Amino acid sequence: MALLQISEPGQTPEPHQRKRAVGIDLGTTNSLVATVRSGTAEAIATQDGSVILPSVVHYAADGITVGAAARTRAGEDPYNTLISIKRLMGRGIADVKSFGEQLPYKFVDSDGGMPAIETAAGPVNPVQVSAEILKTLYQRGSAALGGELDGAVITVPAYFDDAQRQATKDAARLAGLKVLRLLNEPTAAAVAYGLDKGEEGLIAVYDLGGGTFDISILRLSRGVFEVMATGGDTALGGDDFDRTIATWVAEQAGLGTDLDAAAQRALLDSACAAKEALAQQQQVELAYGDWRGTLDRAGMAELLNPLIDKTLRACRRALRDAGVSAGEVGEVVLVGGSTRTLQVRERVEEFFGRAPHADIDPDQVVAIGAALQADVLVGNKSRDDLLLLDVIPLSLGIETMGGLTEKLIPRNTTIPVSKAQEFTTFRDGQTAMAIHVVQGERELVKDCRSLARFELRGIPPMVAGAAHIRVTFQVDADGLLSVAAMEKSSGVSADVTVKPSYGLEDGDIARMLQDSYAHAEEDIAARALREAQVEAERSLESLLAALQENGAELLSGRELDELERAAEALRFAHNGGDAEEIRRRIEALNQLSEPFAARRMDASIRRAMQGHTLDEFDK
Amino acid sequence: MALNQTYFEIFGLKPAFAIDRAALAERYRELQRGFHPDKYVSKSEREQLLAMQYAARINEAHTTLRDPVLRAGYLLKLAGVEVSPEQTTADADFLMKQMVLRERLEEAREAQDPAAVLDELADEVRHLFSGEQKHFAGVFAAGDLEAGKSSLLKLQFLSKLQRQVEELEEDLLD
Repeated sequence: MALLQISEPGQTPEPHQRKRAVGIDLGTTNSLVATVRSGTAEAIATQDGSVILPSVVHYAADGITVGAAARTRAGEDPYNTLISIKRLMGRGIADVKSFGEQLPYKFVDSDGGMPAIETAAGPVNPVQVSAEILKTLYQRGSAALGGELDGAVITVPAYFDDAQRQATKDAARLAGLKVLRLLNEPTAAAVAYGLDKGEEGLIAVYDLGGGTFDISILRLSRGVFEVMATGGDTALGGDDFDRTIATWVAEQAGLGTDLDAAAQRALLDSACAAKEALAQQQQVELAYGDWRGTLDRAGMAELLNPLIDKTLRACRRALRDAGVSAGEVGEVVLVGGSTRTLQVRERVEEFFGRAPHADIDPDQVVAIGAALQADVLVGNKSRDDLLLLDVIPLSLGIETMGGLTEKLIPRNTTIPVSKAQEFTTFRDGQTAMAIHVVQGERELVKDCRSLARFELRGIPPMVAGAAHIRVTFQVDADGLLSVAAMEKSSGVSADVTVKPSYGLEDGDIARMLQDSYAHAEEDIAARALREAQVEAERSLESLLAALQENGAELLSGRELDELERAAEALRFAHNGGDAEEIRRRIEALNQLSEPFAARRMDASIRRAMQGHTLDEFDK
Repeated sequence: MALNQTYFEIFGLKPAFAIDRAALAERYRELQRGFHPDKYVSKSEREQLLAMQYAARINEAHTTLRDPVLRAGYLLKLAGVEVSPEQTTADADFLMKQMVLRERLEEAREAQDPAAVLDELADEVRHLFSGEQKHFAGVFAAGDLEAGKSSLLKLQFLSKLQRQVEELEEDLLD
């Protein structure tokens, strides 16, 4: 059959060639990259054997340092050593001011309401700082796997809102990574444990990291992980433990809280050391300035209990949302370095009434779960039985009259989800309207997080109340929101302009990409060409697979001919050097294969419905 | 088969109020195994978009059929009766009962042993809720849509009250 020419040797990759995929845990304090090799997932170490990359970036006039080397600069050069940057992702300048005392940086306003930090290398925003960490992990991954990576799964706290997720995805784009999926950290941990042991039933994942807390309740049933509820706090973690202990030390030592950045850092470091020591020993000696003192386990427990109480309240709410009781939970999994604190383990065990699992290194478990998922998504593993069904962590709503929130998609709704809402005009001849999208549980808009303002233009002029504008909000499998609008009576689609409240617009990313290439002296054109070629290969490969599966069955001879010609044209363009031309040919092929894609989808639905007798559908 | 199938058709279930929850859960996983966007990561953009639409539709169907109040509302909608979630009952007896229940919820906050008072109230609401579900199933099966609508309005109230009891329980625990 002529069509099989598409798979001529050398034109498309070997069908069983392994793809290079990694899982990345982009953490507040530490980051890791893991991959599946010879059937097992493991964290990738550097030559010196360390798997953990401290999430620290140091900016100097003559260059950027990432990781442990940057970490050592924190004491001497605190303003240029950026730590815990994840806390600032997707946040506005006002949020950042509330962290002001905790993070000793010089913040400056920048475009899009996103804060930038003044450094010796100029102002940088949180997305750029995260991209530096991702680039280092990318290099570590591609060095270990021997080539460019085909894709990555990046984990985010389950409780991250849309702006924080978008910021993470932007950082990956800036680092040149193809994101297969944003995966919630607790879900990743559950995958790491679940696949390891073949567990069935209810799992609670308690994830207390450096800066964030997440609780997720999942049901595992024959390889399908169904998240039933999730909750947490994006500004609560081990860093707060350190700060609480540091504040106690400062009080005992009779010091004020207006310390300079270096002194603050030193105090926090000693608080952190004391906390870690108390996991091993009964008490610890502390010294600060002229002050000498002792902190024992009971004393630290007393200091930390109010913070741990907050996490348990979130656990209670998640259980209620899932409609289950603590006693029904079969397995409890601990994730995050802060779960090493004994008091945390004891309180969690008491709450769920069972000893938690912690046999996989709590620092690595998330990256390992992400690597397993990446391996499946990239197509290496026909692990057909693994499927993750995740939820949206916070309700999505819109602003209505009087600054009130109207919830459109409630929290813990399984994603992807789409929801349409109808609006009408207020005045005669009105041709535009503004919609403010917020995320959160509170009644008042000002208590929720502002995500974006949409402007709908091009509404046909009618009398007030006559236009019916149907706005569709869609949340994809990454938990990211998109919006489309249409006026129903005329069928006119309104233009939707997205203005993210605390994020980057497409133009910003393009500019930052340009800047970063200028620094790295990379050839933008070469990169664009390579990206277009990869995209072309992907399109050809997926078309070929589709044609082999059911092309003859679903397409007419003429349709097959046309598709073949378009594929041939794309293959020709692929071998040439014009990225624009490749893009045009991809677009042409995609358009031509649209009806085929739709028919394939219908065919798979028919297959999925087989085995159900017809009378089941009778009304 | 297309996106315009009813939720019951998507799940291969008879359009009745009584539902086999195990079959629903099993069928849900089976459908998502076929259509979740994760299964289409290496496919064309068009197929990825379609997968997202199908998966969203399957999720919507599952959410509706799983929840008794949404399921009852959907059955009535299929039968041509629209009921807004804000609409309230006009049944004088039930309105009276509603007032008494609301008062008890308010009083629980001030009670000496609020947990015990709430427990008792929660049990009672649960009992009323499950009784009303049986009633709905009966009148809907008999084709009495007016009675079905009146029953749905009661279900909406009871489900909301159940949620408020839970929220108050949580508040009191903190």
